[in-house]
Amino acid sequence: MEPLLLTLRLAAFTSIVLTVLGAPVAWLLVRHRSKLTAVIETILLMPLVLPPTVLGFYLLVLMGDAGPLARAFDIRWAFTFEGILLGSVLFNLPFAMAAFGETFRAIPSDLLDTARTLGASRGRIVREVVLPLAWPGLLAGATLVFAHTIGEFGVVLMIGGSIPGETRVLGIHIYELVQGLRFDEAHRVAIVSTAMAFALLLALRLTEHRWRSHTA
Amino acid sequence: MEIAYRLTQPIALSVQLHVRGLTVLLGASGAGKTSLLRAIAGLLPADGSPFHGIPVQKRPVGYLPQHYALFPHLSALGNVCFSIRHLPHEQRTRKAMQLLESLGVSHCAQRKPAALSGGEQQRVALARALAREPEILLLDEPLSAIDSPTARDILGWLSRTVAELGIPVLAATHDPLLAAAADRIAILHGGRIVQQGGRDAIMSAPEGVAAARLLGYTNFVGFADANLVGYQTGGVEYAGTDFLAFRPERAWVVTPGAACPEPGGLAVRVRCTVDSVSRPYASVNVRGYALSALLAPDLLSSGAERGSELELLVPEQAVRVLPAESA
Repeated sequence: MEPLLLTLRLAAFTSIVLTVLGAPVAWLLVRHRSKLTAVIETILLMPLVLPPTVLGFYLLVLMGDAGPLARAFDIRWAFTFEGILLGSVLFNLPFAMAAFGETFRAIPSDLLDTARTLGASRGRIVREVVLPLAWPGLLAGATLVFAHTIGEFGVVLMIGGSIPGETRVLGIHIYELVQGLRFDEAHRVAIVSTAMAFALLLALRLTEHRWRSHTA
Repeated sequence: MEIAYRLTQPIALSVQLHVRGLTVLLGASGAGKTSLLRAIAGLLPADGSPFHGIPVQKRPVGYLPQHYALFPHLSALGNVCFSIRHLPHEQRTRKAMQLLESLGVSHCAQRKPAALSGGEQQRVALARALAREPEILLLDEPLSAIDSPTARDILGWLSRTVAELGIPVLAATHDPLLAAAADRIAILHGGRIVQQGGRDAIMSAPEGVAAARLLGYTNFVGFADANLVGYQTGGVEYAGTDFLAFRPERAWVVTPGAACPEPGGLAVRVRCTVDSVSRPYASVNVRGYALSALLAPDLLSSGAERGSELELLVPEQAVRVLPAESA
C-alpha cells in the first residue's frame, strides 16, 4: 500500500508542477516564435531520447552531498522525495510540452486578436478566452503526465534508490518483489498498476474528445 | 473618414482612401487588404491616421476578421457582452440583447456559434463589434464564409444595415459581387490605391487591366489584335500596350445576322465558335481569343451547342480601352 500511495503522491505533484510551470512556457513557445525557440524546444525534448539512467545519473551528481547544488544552495535532494520529484518533472517535460503545445496551437490567433480589438487586456484574454478553450487539453496533458509517472523506474532508482515511504515507488517495489522471488505479491501489485494505467488512459481519451469538440 | 496608412511588414503598403457608407476595398489575393485592415485595427505596426498611437484595446474600431472569430465557448449573447465588460451586468445584457434584436438574431442569443448559420454568425459578430460604438467598421471578406445563394441576401441586408447605422464601413474583398453593392470602391494594387470613387463611376470606367479584372471584366483583347475580333479602331487613339475590355454581361452571342438584344451602336460584330455553354453565358472562340458573353434570348431557349458557328456582338458603350500598366 505504501509504494502505491507514494507513487500517486509523486504523480500528482509531478502533474501539478508541470501544469503550473510548463503551460506558461508552452504558451510562450507557441505564441512567440524566435530563433531561440528551436534551441529551447530541443533542450526540452532531450529527456525523451536520453536513457532514464543517464538523466538520473546527472541529477544524482547535481543533487548529491558533494554536488554543486549542495555547495551553492545547501540543497541535498539525492535519495529524497524532492529529488525523485525533480527527476520525474524533468523526465515528463517532453510529454507535457507536446500536449500543452498542441492545445495552445489549436486556438486560432484570430480569436486572440479580435479579443484585443474588443477592448480585452492580455490578462483578460488569458482568463476568458485561452483558459476556457484550453483547459480540457491542459487536463489531458496533466493526466498523461500522471499516468506516465506511475510507470517510472530508471530515473527514480538512480536518484532515489529504494527507501520505503520516501522513494520506493510502485515500479521499484515490483522489481524488488521479483528479485526476492515473491511472484504472488508481484502479480497483485502489477494488476493494480495495469488497472490504473487503463483507467487513466480511458479518462485521457474522454477528455481529449471533449477538448476537440470544444475547439473545433 | 479619411484614412492614410503606411506599413512595411508583412507587405509594403502606402494607402490613402476616403471611406463613406459601404466602401469596398477591392484587391487580388495577397494584395495586402487584410494587412491594411489589421493595421487600421492596430494589430500590425504601421504609421498613419486616424488612430495612430492608440493601443489596440482602445481604438474605436469594429473589426470582423474573415471567419468572424466568435468565441466558441460563449453563447451569442456572451460574445456580445464580452466587448462591453465595463458596463454593469444588467445594463450589459440589455444592450447586447437590443443589438442582437436590431440585427435580427435575438432568437440565437443563447446558442453557441457552432449552432449558428454563416449569416447568423456574421450578424452576431457585427453586434459584438457595434456594442463598442466604433467610429468605423472593418470587414474582411464578409461573404467568404457564406454559400453563394445566401450571399445575395446577406449583401442586401448588409448594405441596408450599413445605411441605417450611419457608420463608415470598409470591407475588403476580391469579390465583384460585393463591389456591385458598394457606395464607394477603392482598388488596391501594387501596394497603393490605384483608383477610388463612387461605385458607378469606377464600375463603368476602370483605369487599367488589373482594376478591370477585379471589377468583373473577363474579356481582354490586346489592342493590336482588336481588328482581329472585328473592332473598328478608326478614330480611337491607343498605345501598343492597350487592351480592349468588356464584361461578359455586356456582350451577346446571337445567331448570324440577328439584331443585338440591346439598343445602340455596335463596336464589334464578328463570327465566333461556341466552346462551352454555362447558361446564361457562353464561352466562344474568336480567332484564338477565348471570350464570354450572354446568350441571346432565342439561343437561351433553343440551346446553343458546342461547336456552333454564331456571332459575337459588343455594344459600343460596353467597350473600354484600357492601359495595361496604370493598374
